[in-house]
Amino acid sequence: MEIKETEKKEVPYFIEIDDVYKSFRVYKDKGTELKDKILFKHRNNYTRHKVIDGISIKIRPGEAVGFVGHNGCGKSTLLKMISRIIYPDKGTITTRGRISGLIELGAGFHPDMTGRENIYTNAAIYGLSKKEIDKRLENIIEFSGLRKYIDTPVRTYSSGMYMRLGFSVAINVDAEILLIDEILAVGDGEFQNKCFNELKAIKERGKTIVIVSHSLDQIEEICDKSYWINDGVIKMEGSPKDVHAAYLAGIGNPGVEI
Amino acid sequence: MDSNTKNNDRTLEVKKTGQGEGFFQSVREIFNYREMINAFIRRDLRGRYKGSVLGFLWTFINPLLQLCVYSIVFSVILNQPEEKYYLFLFVSLIPWIFFSSSVQGGSTCIIAYKDMVKKIYFPREVLPIATVTTNFVNMLLCFIVIFGVVIFSGTPLNPLALLCLIPVFAVEYILALGMAFLVSAVTVYLRDMEHILGIVLMAWQYLTPVLYGFNIVPEEFKVLFSLNPMTPVITAYRDILYYHKIPDLFTLVSALIMGVIILIIGWITFSKLKRRFAEEL
Repeated sequence: MEIKETEKKEVPYFIEIDDVYKSFRVYKDKGTELKDKILFKHRNNYTRHKVIDGISIKIRPGEAVGFVGHNGCGKSTLLKMISRIIYPDKGTITTRGRISGLIELGAGFHPDMTGRENIYTNAAIYGLSKKEIDKRLENIIEFSGLRKYIDTPVRTYSSGMYMRLGFSVAINVDAEILLIDEILAVGDGEFQNKCFNELKAIKERGKTIVIVSHSLDQIEEICDKSYWINDGVIKMEGSPKDVHAAYLAGIGNPGVEI
Repeated sequence: MDSNTKNNDRTLEVKKTGQGEGFFQSVREIFNYREMINAFIRRDLRGRYKGSVLGFLWTFINPLLQLCVYSIVFSVILNQPEEKYYLFLFVSLIPWIFFSSSVQGGSTCIIAYKDMVKKIYFPREVLPIATVTTNFVNMLLCFIVIFGVVIFSGTPLNPLALLCLIPVFAVEYILALGMAFLVSAVTVYLRDMEHILGIVLMAWQYLTPVLYGFNIVPEEFKVLFSLNPMTPVITAYRDILYYHKIPDLFTLVSALIMGVIILIIGWITFSKLKRRFAEEL
C-alpha cells in the first residue's frame, strides 16, 4: 500500500480546509415541542455563537497533525466538519478517500451479539462491504487480542475489552484519513503501546492522521505538525514542540495539561 | 467532485462540502453502505427479541393476537357479513402492520441512533431504509403464515394472481419508505411528531379498508378514499389472497404514482434536513 516517491508529488492533499466558518445556534430555551414552536414562533430564542472563524489547513498523505487548544476553541468542531457530520457555513472542506474515526468506539455494538458479529456491524458503519470485512476480520481479531472471547456476546466483555474491539475495527478500516478525538487511553499500557505503534505504521503507509487531544505528549510522539487553535482561528502552527511550548506559556500554566 | 484519484487498488472518492450532493452521488453512496443496511437489518431481526422467552416467535404472535381481537369484535359482536372474516382480515392486516410500523419506527429511527449520528459519518438515509426493510422482511415472514392459512382454508390459490403480489409489495415498500424518509427527518426537529403519528396512524387505519371492504364505503366517499394510497394497496392484497383474482391494474398504477410522489417528497425533505441532524440532536 506504499505510495511511491514518484507518485507522491502527484498525490494531492488528503484534506483541504479552505477558509471555513462555522457558528452554532445557542438556544436560550430550546423548544423542540410543537407547543413551543407555535407559541414562540416569532421569538428568536437563540444567539449565534461563532466557533470557527476562518481556518485554512492543508494536510498531505503521510502527514499527522495535532490540534491543541482550550475547551471550546473549536478543535472538535473542526474534526466533525472534516468527517462531514456537520457542515461549514462558509468555505469548503475537500477530503480524498475513506475517513475513519477513533471517535465513537464500538458504534452499533449489540450487547447480545458476539464479538465477531459486532465486528461486521461496526465495520459496516465505516462503509466497508462484506468482502472487505472478510478480508480484514483476521487482522481485527488478532489486533484486539480477544480471540478467546470473539464468539461470546459482547455484554460479557469488560469495558476495556469493549473499547479494544472497537479500536481494532476502527484502526483496521484502512482509511486514508484517520481522525482521533481524545481517546488514546484505550486499554492497558501494553495495548496502548500497540496502538501507538500501529498509528505510526499507518502514517508510514502514507495515510493522514488528525489528532485532537489535551495530552500534548501524545501529539508530540506521533505528529509532524501542530495547530494551536484559539477562538476559532489558528493562533500558531509549526512543529509540535514549538507550538506546545508557546501554548503552555500562553495559558500561563506551564507543565499543566489543560 | 467527480475527479477521483487512484490510490493502489481503490479509487479515492473526493468529497467536497459546501455544495449540495447530487441525487446520483447520494444513491451511489447508499449503495456503498449496503453492508451497513444488511448489518442493521440482521441486528434488528435477531436482536429485537433476544432475552424474551418466546424470542423470534413474537414476530408471528403479535399479528396473530391482533387478528384474534379484531376477528372476535367484528365477526362475533359486530356481525360482519364477510364469510371467513378471519382470512378477509388477515390478508389486509399484515400489510397494514408493515406500513404502520414502518412509519412509526421510521419516526424514531434517527433519534434512536443519536449518539452515532452525532459522532460518525454515514449516509443518514441508511437508518430509515434499514427500518423499513426490517419491517418488510417481517411482513414476508408473516406471509408464510398467510399462505398456510389460505391453503388451510381450502380455496385454491391462483398462480397468476400470486405473481401480482410482487408489484404490490414493491408499491407498498415505496410508499412506506417515502413516509419513513419524511417523518424520520421531521421528527428530529419536531419531537411531537412521534406522538402525533400514533393518532394519525390509528385514524389512517380506520380510513383504509383494512377491517372492512372497499365495497361498503358509501358512494360519495369513494373518491375521497381513493386518494388514500393505502386503499388500492390493501384492496390489491385482498383481491389476490382472498378473492383469488388479479387486482385492478388502474388502481395499482395510481397507487404507484402516489407512492413515487410521496417518495420524492420524502427524499427531498430528508436531503434538506439531514445536514443539520448532528446539531439538532
